[in-house]
Amino acid sequence: MDLLSNFLMDFIKQLQSPTLSFLIGGIFIAAFGSQLQIPESIVKIIIFMLLTKIGLTGGIAIRNSNLTEMILPAAFSVLVGILIVFIARYTLAKLPKVKTLDALATGGLFGAVSGSTMAAAITALEEQNIKFEAWAGALYPFMDIPALVTAIVVANVYLNNMKRKEQAQSAMQESLSRQPVAAGDYPDQQSYPSTRQEYLSRQRSVDSRVKIWPIVQESLQGPALSAMLLGLALGLFARPESVYKGFYDPAFRGLLSILMLVMGMEAWSRLNELRKVAHWYVVYSVVAPFVHGLIAFGLGMIAHYATGFSLGGVVVLAVIAASSSDISGPPTLRAGIPSANPSAYIGASTAIGTPVAIGLCIPFFLGLAQTLGAG
Amino acid sequence: MAKPAKKLVIISEKILLKKIAQIIEEAGATGYTVMETGGKGSRNVRSSGQPSVSDTTVNVKFEVLTHDRIMAQKIADHVAEKFFLDYAGIIYMCDAEVLYGHSFCGPEGC
Repeated sequence: MDLLSNFLMDFIKQLQSPTLSFLIGGIFIAAFGSQLQIPESIVKIIIFMLLTKIGLTGGIAIRNSNLTEMILPAAFSVLVGILIVFIARYTLAKLPKVKTLDALATGGLFGAVSGSTMAAAITALEEQNIKFEAWAGALYPFMDIPALVTAIVVANVYLNNMKRKEQAQSAMQESLSRQPVAAGDYPDQQSYPSTRQEYLSRQRSVDSRVKIWPIVQESLQGPALSAMLLGLALGLFARPESVYKGFYDPAFRGLLSILMLVMGMEAWSRLNELRKVAHWYVVYSVVAPFVHGLIAFGLGMIAHYATGFSLGGVVVLAVIAASSSDISGPPTLRAGIPSANPSAYIGASTAIGTPVAIGLCIPFFLGLAQTLGAG
Repeated sequence: MAKPAKKLVIISEKILLKKIAQIIEEAGATGYTVMETGGKGSRNVRSSGQPSVSDTTVNVKFEVLTHDRIMAQKIADHVAEKFFLDYAGIIYMCDAEVLYGHSFCGPEGC
């Protein structure tokens, strides 16, 4: 009962918080057909500032703290990131009308972390005066990269297996059908069976092994992670306290509200695309954030009892597991699994996953932590 | 004097920008122009005006001037084979007459 009332109280508070109210506002005005446009370059600078601030906070915190505390939560982050992809592989991919590659890309995106959701969680924790390790934000890459790498590697392994099977099958069919074609005298047809197949066969001969390093490199070079890691490094090795206090920290919440507005508008525009793919994506993107978050919450509690990882930190870990990447994940997956349908995975993540993670999962995990902390 | 050339236009997804640029350079073209675009095609409306937090829905348009049809065809084939099965894209070619351009025509002009 406590959990439910805590959740409801947090939910109402969260609804009125700038983060969620701007998100809902964005959805509303987009649904209303508003012509409001936030220039892309502004969105980019906002993302840069938010993640640099989180990185700086983490870097400064790491400088003043004991790094060994971070090992267990970081290891759990890696574990959750990988696990989420396999959950999608064995649940979502098995559902009717869902293609395995699309499911894997969706799993990768839900395993990857959304910087804006993490920023919203950090703001919520600060508003409620719940203590958490300032380096908790630095867990981001430990979950993000393994999830993307796993999704892309598993997808490519799957694709190669499929191609091998197809090749074996077509070789058999060819041996059966060669005779009549040769007699039919259609030399053109043999060299150009059809453009699509030609492309396929040409592709078949190339990439048969998945290289992991380019995927890691690509996610590290992505705008979100590179901004955060830069902040982290600057916080660790330089003395950025004055710009942090005077610029990054005060602007954080205001900028987050603008980003949330944009995310709301984008969520609405993506909803149309999601309608074109299997409806199971809707079910998955509502349920998955809770399942992923709960797994991470459970692991976080182990760290809480083992090494004294704070409950606030557990909430951050749970929320980053619940979140799905909107900024840097999609381009990485689009490049890594080109044949997956972006309408499916980006639609699932942006239209439903992110609003669920911000609107429902943050208050849920906050309530859960408060209940456990009180008990 | 105008110098006859072929103008190759490639419209595709922005995430392929670097890869397509590399193909164009490897083919031996002296340069290219690239711009962000939006529009409608067989893969839904891909726009540059909508709010967007990632670059996945943005298109780019390459314009490459080549001396002859062979090089243009080579670039087009390479790009289409490598990407157009999975990514949005269209390639077309027009006749062009270059009036000025150091790198294209040479130091004494066209």
